[in-house]
Amino acid sequence: MKKNYPYSAPQGYFDSLQQRLSDIPVRRTRVNLAPYFALAVSFALAVLAGNYILMKTTANAPASEEEIVEYLIDSGTTLAQLEDAVYNY
Amino acid sequence: MPEQEKYFNDLVKQYSEPLYWHVRAMVGSHEDADDLMQEIFIKVWKALPSFRGDSEPFTWLWRIATNETISHLRKARVRAALSFSRLDAEAERISDPDPYFDGDAALRSLRKALMKLPDKQRTVFAMRYYEELSYEQISEITGTSVGALKASYHIAYEKVKSFLNENN
Repeated sequence: MKKNYPYSAPQGYFDSLQQRLSDIPVRRTRVNLAPYFALAVSFALAVLAGNYILMKTTANAPASEEEIVEYLIDSGTTLAQLEDAVYNY
Repeated sequence: MPEQEKYFNDLVKQYSEPLYWHVRAMVGSHEDADDLMQEIFIKVWKALPSFRGDSEPFTWLWRIATNETISHLRKARVRAALSFSRLDAEAERISDPDPYFDGDAALRSLRKALMKLPDKQRTVFAMRYYEELSYEQISEITGTSVGALKASYHIAYEKVKSFLNENN
């Protein structure tokens, strides 16, 4: 600093500043593991939640044959298509 | 020690002190400058893998520091506005008796005037007046054209002059 610079710093400040700044790579390396850990935990939670929902929704009794046929008719499936599906199964 | 870490430590050794004075001239208070130095060097460490030496380390570091400082000043203004305090309050806080200010009454007034300038004008003024950087250097650091910088400095200079005239 050249012209009329009016600021000063505490005694020994730059030594301690350099020390603190030099610690940044060490601290960042340690801290950098946190996002990966958080990601792993959230992935595990998502799998558990998905599994739970799947168990809940598929726990009901499977649809009866009539229900399946009714559904197919309602959805516009023709008899010919049904026969074709059955015989070519 | 990995090469990147060694290079980072070399930057810290060579530039931390001049960079502190650069930041200090813009923010005024030692505490703010100290906090910002941490933030700036964390950014430097993160950005180091992408630094290919296209610009001088000085320009690169000063660019990161200037951007970070302007962002800090902007946030401080927003905080002041949201808390319904007068924007001048921030300038007053910084200009309060400071144990790490060695200037006389005239330099104290100059500091007060500087703290009232808009962020970009303050930055340009501090780099020209205190650091005596050329417009070309400031242009490389800020990415602003030399013409715009000259205009900015002139406006800042006039505002400072008028503040000093009114208060002396």
